[in-house]
Amino acid sequence: MSYMLRDLEKKLNKLKMIDEDVKAKTIESLQRYAEEGRDVKSELEKLLDSFIISPESMDPYGIVWKLEHIVNTWEDRFEEDVMKLCSKADNMKVKTLTNLVEVARGIHYIYRVVRHYYLLGKKTSNIYLILQMQMLMPQIMEIAEAYHYASYAFSQGQPIGDGIGVLAVAKLAYGKEKKTYEIAKDTIVQEMDFEGRKLIIVRAVGPGGTVGRPGEGVKKVVEAEGDKVKLIITIDAGLKLEGEDSGKVIEGVGVAIGGTGVDKYKIEEIAKNKGIPLYAIVIYESIVEAITPMRESIAKSVDKILEKVKQTILEKVDKDYTVIVAGIGNSVGIGVT
Amino acid sequence: MFPTKPPANKFAQPLTFLLCFNCKTENSRPFKEGDYVFLEVEEKCPKCGSNKMLVTGIYVKEKQEKKKEV
Repeated sequence: MSYMLRDLEKKLNKLKMIDEDVKAKTIESLQRYAEEGRDVKSELEKLLDSFIISPESMDPYGIVWKLEHIVNTWEDRFEEDVMKLCSKADNMKVKTLTNLVEVARGIHYIYRVVRHYYLLGKKTSNIYLILQMQMLMPQIMEIAEAYHYASYAFSQGQPIGDGIGVLAVAKLAYGKEKKTYEIAKDTIVQEMDFEGRKLIIVRAVGPGGTVGRPGEGVKKVVEAEGDKVKLIITIDAGLKLEGEDSGKVIEGVGVAIGGTGVDKYKIEEIAKNKGIPLYAIVIYESIVEAITPMRESIAKSVDKILEKVKQTILEKVDKDYTVIVAGIGNSVGIGVT
Repeated sequence: MFPTKPPANKFAQPLTFLLCFNCKTENSRPFKEGDYVFLEVEEKCPKCGSNKMLVTGIYVKEKQEKKKEV
């Protein structure tokens, strides 16, 4: 057991260094946009330790709307706090800095949990607790290193692997005559013509770091278009299994979207009520690739994605009808075309 | 024996890929803060000397490795 404890302690020290490095990077980035003399460190500590309480699920009816309310309140407050701290940053930069603070929160939480189980196992001499922790450490360290890499990406505004959905729809819209407008918070719609069909793209606005509210966007578009919508396609990054190639593009049915489930629920609900088929296109990547700067194999999958989207629209949607293509993901480093 | 601070530059940095509007050649350079995909930049094309280019991609170049089939 002492060997396991020593091994766990070594990894915990490494986690602590990563946590401190990410915190230092975050403070340095926030300081650049904060007023002189502002105590960035203590305000960041407050943000790192802040929490969100899930809604009560004993009576699950209506829980999606309660969850939406709590999550929206949290996101708005978090962004406001970062905006107040970094008063010299513009709107786009504030969104990217908010993502950076979230990365710092993520790694800080991992460190706290591992430290908790280490100290608890040591205090109670519980070999099973220590053993379980030790067995999980390689995967935990991989995620911690990914968060570390991600902090560099967000501090400089580099696109990450999770943004592949947004990149694909941005390229689909590039160079075309279109109408662009905001439909929900941090979410835009681009309407254009595609081979006689009305193509409506829903995506997070960039190049600041945000995922937007695509569920709300798709719902409003369907309500506005009425019965003319004949297909909804969602494009997102998906977790691959070990041994699979990154950047592989696969098709399926359903709503390809992550998060708390609120956006997924909204799209499924409106599609079911209107009888609109839901097609999904997923790009395989690992959890590390999703939050670190985009790799070549993922970036180069955009052309394959567009080929599949265009083929599906031509096959499944008749002329004069509407198709919605939602590019899901974080728009950091991806501009509006 | 004693864990040291991880070096700041151990992570691969992405490259910014630019397309010249004039001669349509694709060039690349190291990423710099402020770059984003679909940004139009006023940088000189190394081939034709034109002053207008479009950022078409920002990603980490991967080494070509021979993979064992499993």
